Amino acid sequence: MGRTLLDLLRFNRQFASGAALLLIVAAYACLSFFSPYAPNDTYVAPPDVPPDWTYLMGTTSRGQDLFWLLSFAIRNTLAFGLAVAVLSRLLALAIGLVAGYSGGLLDRALMSLNDTFIVIPLFPILVLFYFVMRDRMSWGLLALMMACLGWAYDARLIRSVAMSLRHREFTETGIFSGMSMRQILVEEHLPYVLPIVFSTTMNNINWSIGLEVTLSVLGFTDINTPTIGVLLYWANQHTALVSGIWWWIFFPVLLVVMTFIGLFLLAVSMNEYIDPRSRLGRRAP
Amino acid sequence: MTSPVLAVSDLRAYYRTSAFGVQREVRAVDDVSLAIQPGEIYGLAGESSSGKTTLIKTIANAIQPPLQVLAGSVLFDFAGQRFDIHALRPRELAAIRWKHLSYIMQGSMNVLNPVRRVRQTFVDFAFRHIGRPLPEFLDVVRQHLQRLHLEPQVLEAYPHQLSGGMRQRVTIALATVCRPQFIIADEPTTALDVVVQKGVLGMIHEVQRALGSSILFVTHDMAVHANLSDRLGIMYAGRIVEEGRTADVFRAPRHPYTTHLIGSLPHLGDAAPKQGLPGAPPNLADPPPGCRFHPRCPRASDLCRRDVPALETDASGHRVACFHPATESVAESIS
Repeated sequence: MGRTLLDLLRFNRQFASGAALLLIVAAYACLSFFSPYAPNDTYVAPPDVPPDWTYLMGTTSRGQDLFWLLSFAIRNTLAFGLAVAVLSRLLALAIGLVAGYSGGLLDRALMSLNDTFIVIPLFPILVLFYFVMRDRMSWGLLALMMACLGWAYDARLIRSVAMSLRHREFTETGIFSGMSMRQILVEEHLPYVLPIVFSTTMNNINWSIGLEVTLSVLGFTDINTPTIGVLLYWANQHTALVSGIWWWIFFPVLLVVMTFIGLFLLAVSMNEYIDPRSRLGRRAP
Repeated sequence: MTSPVLAVSDLRAYYRTSAFGVQREVRAVDDVSLAIQPGEIYGLAGESSSGKTTLIKTIANAIQPPLQVLAGSVLFDFAGQRFDIHALRPRELAAIRWKHLSYIMQGSMNVLNPVRRVRQTFVDFAFRHIGRPLPEFLDVVRQHLQRLHLEPQVLEAYPHQLSGGMRQRVTIALATVCRPQFIIADEPTTALDVVVQKGVLGMIHEVQRALGSSILFVTHDMAVHANLSDRLGIMYAGRIVEEGRTADVFRAPRHPYTTHLIGSLPHLGDAAPKQGLPGAPPNLADPPPGCRFHPRCPRASDLCRRDVPALETDASGHRVACFHPATESVAESIS
């Protein structure tokens, strides 16, 4: 695994630049642990100072140092994306593998549930969810909700692969040798679908960050936890663009674009990893 | 005569489907009886769709709907214990499989999971059956691989790094590593070229002699049977039509179908063109009454159209299901 990553870094430009972008973003997110201010403190700095050497990214109209505030925001946004991706991947893997393997009635029941989630319009549901929850709305709750809405496409994809694996000789031999369904799914089928899941995980992180930003900008989330979207929401509230505080908008957008491009490049270059042939071709001296 | 390791009697297995209100019944295995002795290689021959694979799936109890066993029994005798394979509970079945009874599946080159190393496949399939700690198990596997002329390094390889012949041998090693008394092999060498095939067959023979197991060997390739099998059963349209020692079947086939099958094999010095048998194998969803071979049989009589011939055993143990079997002299004059 470590060797593969090194080879990917050396030979695959897309992977290398994607990894570099994400590394910068992640390192910046880690800076939040050294922030001199708490994330919700206001008027700790003079308001509306353009970027200079004291305030690298300027300050907001609420007297926050954007450099430190943004490090909190990107940390929360990344964690949010990861949480949604991990939770929804677990759901998608469990449902996709079981449905594809067992077939029949169970498959039909799971897939009708799956199709329901595919056709549900996400955005109105999430907005509705916000109006129901109001003050109890939190970062974790939203992540859970999005994970519950974001697994369906992947479960279909995994199921289609699992269906073909079900009838391969190694599955039949496994059944014949007395492996249980759980063992076959975890030991024989999971390694087969995992590379595909790696790749879709990146896309899922992108999707969830994008949706979170959309909801936050409109104010449909917990606006007291700084995320990229919440930052933009406050910038809009203070009419930052009209009053010329461009840095309040520019730096969050720059950072989220870097994250998107980095994740996208990683997802694309994961194709190199999906096929064990190319994986091994790299290893040959 | 010792007690047979496998005794199949009057086995009947049909595919039964019901789609959109239409019932269909495909009689893939009909009233098959056979017995295999310890240490014997029993060859099962027959053309495609004659029910070979269905028969051995039923024998291994690897059946899935719509295949159903309607009648008959499959009895195994492992170390003095008798097992009726269709009466076993799943756990008991799992306990005898691989340890006593292993199965080399059709398309056996794909038995290895392409994304798992060979070592992991061995652990997945065979480890639980051998009852030893992992390092010891891997030692056993390495020794066993050497018996099949494979380097222990293949354990660290992915399947696509091995050649077809090596993969085939790994599959055979996988099926024989637990020293089973009975091995079912479904076309294990069909995808190989003749040179590799010869080597693999030789190794199967070696392993079989070393372990003292019995093999039920299925292929449509008569040349393979001539090389490997001790006894040969010929299947036609879901029934065994003739069975005997391989040499006898080749030298003096008695059922008209076998006669034509053997007669179709090329010989050195043959000048006459080969005559094909007119017609095609019957549709097993609607087999002809009486002997299933009668529409194509040159010797068919009214009796054949009406009654099903039983599989009669003669003095030498040769069995044939025909009302008008060839005597040895007739058989020789045709072939």
